[in-house]
Amino acid sequence: MLTQQIVNGIVVGSVYALIALGYTLVYGILQLINFAHGEIYMMGAYVGIAVLAVLGAMGVTEQSLAISILLVFLVPMVYCAAYGVTLERVAYRPLRRAPRLSPLISAIGMSIFLQNYVQVAQGARERAFPNLLHLGSFELMGAHVSGLQVFILAAALAMMAGLQVFIHKTRLGRAMRATALDRTMASLVGVDVNRVIAMTFAIGSILAAVAGVMVGMYYGVVNHYIGFVAGIKAFTAAVLGGIGNVTGALLGGFLLALLESFWAGYVSAVYKDVFAFAVLIVVLIFRPEGILGGSAAETDRS
Amino acid sequence: MRKWTLFLIALCAALVLSVPARAAEMIKIGVAGPLTGDQAAFGEMLKNGALLAMEEWNAKGGVTLRGKKVKVDLLWGDDRHDPREGVSIAHKFVNSGAVGVVGHFNSSVSIPASTVYAEAGIVQITPASTNPKLTEQGFKTVFRACGRDDQQGQVAAAFIVNKLKAKNVAILHDKTTYGQGLADETQRFLGQLGVKPVFYSGIVQGDKDFTPVLTAAKQKNPEVVFFGGIHPEAILLVKQMRERLGMEAAFVTGDGVYVDEFFKIAGKAAEGSYVTFTPDQAKIQAAQGVITKHRERFGKEVGAYTIYAYVAANLILNSIQETNTTAGQRLANHLRSKAWSTALGKIQFNAKGDVLESPYVVWQVKGGKFVQVN
Repeated sequence: MLTQQIVNGIVVGSVYALIALGYTLVYGILQLINFAHGEIYMMGAYVGIAVLAVLGAMGVTEQSLAISILLVFLVPMVYCAAYGVTLERVAYRPLRRAPRLSPLISAIGMSIFLQNYVQVAQGARERAFPNLLHLGSFELMGAHVSGLQVFILAAALAMMAGLQVFIHKTRLGRAMRATALDRTMASLVGVDVNRVIAMTFAIGSILAAVAGVMVGMYYGVVNHYIGFVAGIKAFTAAVLGGIGNVTGALLGGFLLALLESFWAGYVSAVYKDVFAFAVLIVVLIFRPEGILGGSAAETDRS
Repeated sequence: MRKWTLFLIALCAALVLSVPARAAEMIKIGVAGPLTGDQAAFGEMLKNGALLAMEEWNAKGGVTLRGKKVKVDLLWGDDRHDPREGVSIAHKFVNSGAVGVVGHFNSSVSIPASTVYAEAGIVQITPASTNPKLTEQGFKTVFRACGRDDQQGQVAAAFIVNKLKAKNVAILHDKTTYGQGLADETQRFLGQLGVKPVFYSGIVQGDKDFTPVLTAAKQKNPEVVFFGGIHPEAILLVKQMRERLGMEAAFVTGDGVYVDEFFKIAGKAAEGSYVTFTPDQAKIQAAQGVITKHRERFGKEVGAYTIYAYVAANLILNSIQETNTTAGQRLANHLRSKAWSTALGKIQFNAKGDVLESPYVVWQVKGGKFVQVN
């Protein structure tokens, strides 16, 4: 039972962590909570369904599984990246010099707008997400593990590793860290701050899109509400780990999901969400900056 | 300043004038349910059923009231399965002069809304709310065209014990009035048959990941998992049981899951699941007419509650014509006074407003459709 609960938690945790990264990256640079981020994740899942429908109609799904898998991730990634950048351009950039409350309200507005937009465009019903990968399952130390779970964890870890390499080893990554440290100074030494911010939104959205597609595959059902709860949970994970801190977001994501899983399995499934937020409150009381507090730039300085 | 004041006065005057203009001579029936949102599938059934009834009456010129033909008008209420929305819709119906209500869908909405209708003396017939409490409140104007959870729980419990021969039963519910009510009634009747559930837990409606609670249930080796709730959660539960945890326990649930989406989305995982519901409507002779009409009008088959909504609307309209009044109290008395022959067969209400006979049977998902078991 213990191993099973760990497996349950890790899979959900990798999804939380991927979304939490988007919150933390944006916060690290703009000190803005992008509340519409959960909606980007939800759209990733819907674009995934659309891609699968097109591929299915063209017969690609039967011919080449590899190409289908690649496209079902790639297209939502590109689509959501474009959405993320547009979101920043339309809803946040005009407000960059406004009081901090304004972009926050703008973010909530965008979240509601996107949710309703998808409801109108795609309908309010539950949508099935066709299962592409039939990977079977195996027993591991008394736990039932499906191939899909392994795939999700592997894909999430690959994305996270890619992000770390990007932040630490590339010019743009360095520019991101510089902007996070001090936006004014960065622009004075020639960093194109607007481009860096747009890039940050694009990267966060790409991670969210991957999470969205994976959740679609995992649960097999998608509706236009999923972004709300997942967004709140991932935000909690980001705050838990220390908002603005990339490693913190990963830690927070896995920690929150594992705690939830244990709580729901051993204590009460009904108060799962209550417990998640109770943990957040306790952490904030004793460590207001989160477990790994501080900004992305500070801890990631190398 | 003066200009603004004048404008406001003009606006107020316009509003006042527009009120009587609306009150045209029509019989208004409120139809309420989750018309949008994740349970919109159910809302659509209520809507289409009531629509068919209205169109039939209006094609005949309307309802004969005090020697005059009066057309029927439907008022739509989208409660989004939210009790607060339900109450505000109830007030809206009362204020718009509705003389009867077909609705609501969810027990958790029907019960609070019924208070408003009862106070206003408006007949409410729910086509789908099965929680016993609705008709146990002592209201004289509330009726239920469908069965009750205790009747349904009894059938489910008997099936689990006698047919599935299960000793270890895990019970889950979604904490709603309907879901928990059904789960508790099933538990009660299981107890009477000597089976005590090995696991009992609530889940949160809207949650996506039920693997932790299912893992805990799996520890008790249940032969049957009974779920009281609605299809979005049932889909996830049955998928996660089969695909994530490799659980082979039979999945038994109630009428809230009798929706095609259950097996369409859950696919292979849903295969073999049992659902308690009323007998096959296609086999009811009296229902043939409305089934055909529905197919012609909407291009698809009737849903689980379409005919119930159709019958509810017809009951109200028939008793208006027969009593020659729209007074709620007299309609209610008339509804109770006799056995009605409806599209669902003979219906007679008891003093509480429940149907005297509510034959629930067990259905199974077989080959991607619901098949009646016994």
